Amino acid sequence: MYRARNIAAACALLAAAALPSLAAAQTAEVIHWWTSGGESAAVKQIAQAYRGAGGVWIDTAIAGGDQARAVTLNRIVGGNPPTAAQFNTSKQFLDVIEQGMLNNVDEVARKESWDTLLPAPIINVIKVKGHYYAVPLNIHMQAWIWYSQAAFKKAGITREPANMDELFAALDKLKAAGIVPLAHGGQSWQETILFSSILSNLGGKDLYLSVLRDRDQRAINSDAFKKVLLAFKRMQSYVDAGSPGRNWNDATAMLISGKGGVQIMGDWAKGEFTAARQVAGQQFGCMPGLGPNAPYLIQGDVFVFPKTTNPDAVKAQKLLASVIVAPATQLAFSKLKGSIPVRTDVDASQLDACAQKGMAAMKDKARQVGVTEVYLTPDQNGAIQDVLTAYWNTGMSVDKAQKNFAAALKN
Amino acid sequence: MLARRFRTLTPFAALLPMALTVIVAYIGTALWTLRVSLTSSRTFASDNFVGLAQYERLFDNERWMLSLHNLAIYGLLFVVACIVIGFLLAVFIDQNVTGEGVLRTVFLYPYAMSFVATGLVWQWMLTPGNGIEQAVRLLGFPNFQFDWIIDQDMAIYTVVIATVWQASGLVMAMLLAGLRGIDPEIWKAARLDGIPAWRVYSSIVLPMLGPTLATVFLLLSTAVIKLYDAVVAMTQGGPGTASEVPAKFIMDHLFLRSNIGLASAGAIVLLVPVLALLAPYAYARSRKGQA
Amino acid sequence: MNKRVARIGIYVFLFSAALFFLLPLYVMLVTSLKSMDEIRAGSIFALPLAATLEPWRQAWSEVCTGAACEGVRAGFWNSVAITVPSTILPILLGAVNGYALSFWRPRGASLLFGLLMAGAFIPVQVMIYPLVRLLAAMGVFGSLPAIVLVHLIFGMPVMTMLFRNYYAGVPHELFQAARIDGGGFWRIFAQVMLPMSAPIIVVAAIMQVTGVWNDYILGLVFAGRDNLPMTVQLNNVINTTTGTRLYNVNMAATILTALVPLAIYFLSGRWFVRGIAAGAVKG
Repeated sequence: MYRARNIAAACALLAAAALPSLAAAQTAEVIHWWTSGGESAAVKQIAQAYRGAGGVWIDTAIAGGDQARAVTLNRIVGGNPPTAAQFNTSKQFLDVIEQGMLNNVDEVARKESWDTLLPAPIINVIKVKGHYYAVPLNIHMQAWIWYSQAAFKKAGITREPANMDELFAALDKLKAAGIVPLAHGGQSWQETILFSSILSNLGGKDLYLSVLRDRDQRAINSDAFKKVLLAFKRMQSYVDAGSPGRNWNDATAMLISGKGGVQIMGDWAKGEFTAARQVAGQQFGCMPGLGPNAPYLIQGDVFVFPKTTNPDAVKAQKLLASVIVAPATQLAFSKLKGSIPVRTDVDASQLDACAQKGMAAMKDKARQVGVTEVYLTPDQNGAIQDVLTAYWNTGMSVDKAQKNFAAALKN
Repeated sequence: MLARRFRTLTPFAALLPMALTVIVAYIGTALWTLRVSLTSSRTFASDNFVGLAQYERLFDNERWMLSLHNLAIYGLLFVVACIVIGFLLAVFIDQNVTGEGVLRTVFLYPYAMSFVATGLVWQWMLTPGNGIEQAVRLLGFPNFQFDWIIDQDMAIYTVVIATVWQASGLVMAMLLAGLRGIDPEIWKAARLDGIPAWRVYSSIVLPMLGPTLATVFLLLSTAVIKLYDAVVAMTQGGPGTASEVPAKFIMDHLFLRSNIGLASAGAIVLLVPVLALLAPYAYARSRKGQA
Repeated sequence: MNKRVARIGIYVFLFSAALFFLLPLYVMLVTSLKSMDEIRAGSIFALPLAATLEPWRQAWSEVCTGAACEGVRAGFWNSVAITVPSTILPILLGAVNGYALSFWRPRGASLLFGLLMAGAFIPVQVMIYPLVRLLAAMGVFGSLPAIVLVHLIFGMPVMTMLFRNYYAGVPHELFQAARIDGGGFWRIFAQVMLPMSAPIIVVAAIMQVTGVWNDYILGLVFAGRDNLPMTVQLNNVINTTTGTRLYNVNMAATILTALVPLAIYFLSGRWFVRGIAAGAVKG
């Protein structure tokens, strides 16, 4: 009897010890905006890696970055925040940090030596007042120069342009051959990308940073910047009449069918080429800028972790953070997303030709700069977008545009 | 005695949900928005009061001023077109036509569809080079031009076309319900008197449709002030900022630009003309009710 | 002879109007039956060279809306669960409000009604943030009751206005007679007014079902993760920012999502019958 009771007690103890570890699967609800086919395949890589590490992934996908971020903010305020939420490398979550609504990820940052591993523009936005608040997942380059091989051949262009003059010459040749030289979608964010490309390629890294990062009024009012604005406006003479309002994929479609020659768009454009079964180096080409020292415009996706004291949620957040920065996850995600991993210590040979060019460019720290939203608040970014789109679409003089641009960045 | 008191209290009790909604949800929100518009709030409401600075910034903003201008033009055209087309459709359908059910669904289906996709279709159709302009040229009119949507001055008219397409069906449905509520004796009597059909409509029917027309007008006006989805789907406020409207300006600053202070100022400014129009109207009606 | 010309004129007008209205639907259908290669290359009015129902199948059950790739059907029952109470309650309340405002006119009601109408002009998005705070304070944020309550708040102005203006067209003698017969507030409402409100109930139902079924932003913010309506999946399919866009699937998904309101419109036919109100006056 005594022994039976002991055995029963031992069994109960064993059961009690076993149950918590069964329930210990970390549940993480993640808000993101990856909803298309290719993006879905990519985010599934993170979900699978997380499940493999013992977690449970609850997917809350909301298309449209601003919608997803609005929902994240409203849920944090409403009292049922997600475990993690996607943001861009930008100042969008600065206010959230200042209100104390995010948990920091200093532990992971220390373990993975982010201070030395990550590019400076990214550290700029995820490290606030000495603490890390976001986990970077990938790097996109905003201003790749794509071109259709068929269009180039028809126009008699034999070499990739290596500077702004050669680019204009190539565009002239395309126009003469009856091809739409610049396939462009007339939406204000696309116009800003075009402008950033010209500012970085023609103005150079120093002008780019003094205008966008330092908001130096003298640099904005300089002749060099005026030259950039004029080159930007000159680009407009190379787009077709149907460009206003066009979606970026429809512009890529013009390259795919050979109707358009060049498009300046982020590396997510690769997805459209792949869907049309075109291959880099065969039907289309990609350049991360004009010339071997062109600045590489970095933006990326990060995850933030809303503040919670619930110990299970905190454990889930830490697990998710470590899964996201793991080299295997980064590689698997970027392969399907079209971006490149944040870490440089991954096997680049698995990525496609354009991504490999990107990784090579990234290795040169001198080429790394951030996109406009890395340096400007959302409001400032919006203000210069308004100026640029008005300048592009109306008969505004370059002097007025320069003045408005300076006013937009004054405070 | 208690029963009589209970009976006169019942209407008040029945209206209690409405009173609560108005006071807590609508007035409460309006007051909150007013308060935020007087601060320098960015993503979240802050307590940093800056007086009328947001309003100054608002009226200094070219995009906002253009959006008000666009709203005035759009509003006038949209309301008039919807009422005229809706009335004509309702009258013609009411003439004992065969296939009324099908016709009614044909005119109403645009209202059922999410404008995100239909707006894109309208953008495709109105873009030069691929849409209607191209089709008409292929039909044999090589100089036909229809590029309003990329024109700074004409872009807002394309939004009129697409939204009238979407809303006329509902106006038709409401006016049809109103027409069907009219006593058939009136038609008989008018026919006996030998009054021509169009006279019957203009002198007898239209006045009787007064309340229905008032409803339609108010409904269309709310749609005008809140115009957002159509602009985003068709032109994104472009080309440039040519087809910008106030609701889109407010939305952009609310979510995209994390500037709820400026957005709230815009919302209050949008509300002012509405209150200015409705307040004397409501006051007059309540006086009439007393008398 | 004149009558025949008039008849022909009527049919010509209706037919031309129908063509204008049907044009975008034609483009949507035609696009939804093409392959992406054809869409990229061709004109939007061209008939499909090799029509396929593949985009429809994908839209319903396969297209990716996030990590999940189950098409738009995932949110169908959620949409139903949200739409049914969010249609019935506002219509009921709107009818009661309109009835009370039209016939009983208690003190201060006109002012309240005026303010309610002003509220109808406030863009929905402006009210989201304060409503989130309010519902969070009430402890219901992120649930089915929350989204029904929100639809009730936003539907009340229009519903009340519809019924009030409709009852304003009803002869006051009818109401007086019922009161003399000894009817009280609820008796008169249920036995006299409601039965003769069929046409306006149909219009109210059309508006509310469409508004709630197609609503996206309110369901997204207030319904909670387990009750997300179909429009969230639809938006995820259509509005991807940097992903590739499958226009054929987008069009198919849009039409699929619109089928429920469309069915309501078509089935509401028998209520658009002449003489319901007239019969009540006479009888």
